[in-house]
Amino acid sequence: MSELIENLKNEVIEALNLEGMSAAEIDENAPLFNGGDPTAPGLGLDSIDALELIVLMERNYGIKLKNASEGKDIFKSIATMAEYISKNRTK
Amino acid sequence: MAVYIQSAAQISIQSPLCDDWFTNPILREGRYFRCEEPDFKQFVDPMSARRMGRLLKRALASAKSALVGYDAPLDAIVTGTGLGCIETTEKFLLAMLKEGEQALPPSHFMQSTHNTIGSLVAQHLKCHGYNNTFTHRGASFDCALQDALMQFDLGNISSALVCANDEMTELYFQLFDQIGYWKREEVKAEMFHNAQTEGSFAGEVSATFLLGKEKTNNTLCRLDGQVLMYEPGEARVREAIDQLLKQGGIGWSDIDAVVCGYNAAKSNDEVYGRMVNSLFPDVAQIYYKHLFGESFAASAMGYYVAAVCLKRGEIPAHLLFKGQPVTPKHILVYNHFQNKDHSVALLSC
Repeated sequence: MSELIENLKNEVIEALNLEGMSAAEIDENAPLFNGGDPTAPGLGLDSIDALELIVLMERNYGIKLKNASEGKDIFKSIATMAEYISKNRTK
Repeated sequence: MAVYIQSAAQISIQSPLCDDWFTNPILREGRYFRCEEPDFKQFVDPMSARRMGRLLKRALASAKSALVGYDAPLDAIVTGTGLGCIETTEKFLLAMLKEGEQALPPSHFMQSTHNTIGSLVAQHLKCHGYNNTFTHRGASFDCALQDALMQFDLGNISSALVCANDEMTELYFQLFDQIGYWKREEVKAEMFHNAQTEGSFAGEVSATFLLGKEKTNNTLCRLDGQVLMYEPGEARVREAIDQLLKQGGIGWSDIDAVVCGYNAAKSNDEVYGRMVNSLFPDVAQIYYKHLFGESFAASAMGYYVAAVCLKRGEIPAHLLFKGQPVTPKHILVYNHFQNKDHSVALLSC
């Protein structure tokens, strides 16, 4: 799992073009989205980033999200993403 | 109706966001040059900038620079771009190929339209007014400017940003190369005089002009008018200049210099040589593409060069294609694209 988390961090950095950020700086348990509150912890991603993450999961792991309501739980953090990927990946 | 160019900012293959090119130009020898870029962190925070392609960042930086010190409402943003965000478009198309039209990156898709540029600038400037984009290859900026002038004439606006934005990717450079758009050999400064072969050298331009109705202490110059023409003969160009001179309240002998888009390509330069030498045989000619390269947005730099010369009251030797240095009060800017789309404008101090 730790290898998957590390890979995922790097893939997120590349997909979202988080320039100047390294995998070590991302806390896998911190929230990815902070509801537009810049003072809240986490990466502070937005809805377009969510689309990029959906595309990333499909492209890199063969996972097609069919139920949009699942997204809220899956994209809570890098750790929740990794857990979902490990259970559902097809490649 | 005359309007005033209140300020202008450029990012090009010269030093960015300044007028160093006027006193210390960078003289290029080669075929393909990309922009000298400023530190974009001064203009947009990194989290916002991370999804922007380079052209968007340049457009935003030049627009914000042109607005430094301006605190009145902005009524319009009009953009001229031949290729739009072509770098992002290429990324999107290449992803389509690679991924078999599945799982495509949304950011690249969103930015793959020409009017992304004007809308992004408007978002960041919180300008909810008139917003339009013109895409007519080498005449894109000229058309954008014409539209802005018409909006002024109609009384719809009192201020406008008129922008020119184009980038040149390696892939597009190669495609243009295949149709002889660029010189086969490295372009040198002396090739701009008496061009014997076809092709120019590639540059990139993001330029923004702030136009307004009132003259201020910082105003660069007055824009008396602009005429666009399609495949005109000399008589039609003469008629257009007559019209502009009338609008400026001056005569033919008052023109101090003519800015021309000489680009070292034989067929391109012959048009200027024939037309301008016939219409203004004894008037100084200014060239600028030897400094800024050729691109679909390059014609904007002709206006930029003329405006700065008028503001400073001099024409540096490195800009003189022909004639003697003068203290310019009235400059004609004459551009054509492939001898089809022609534009002529009168700028005065």
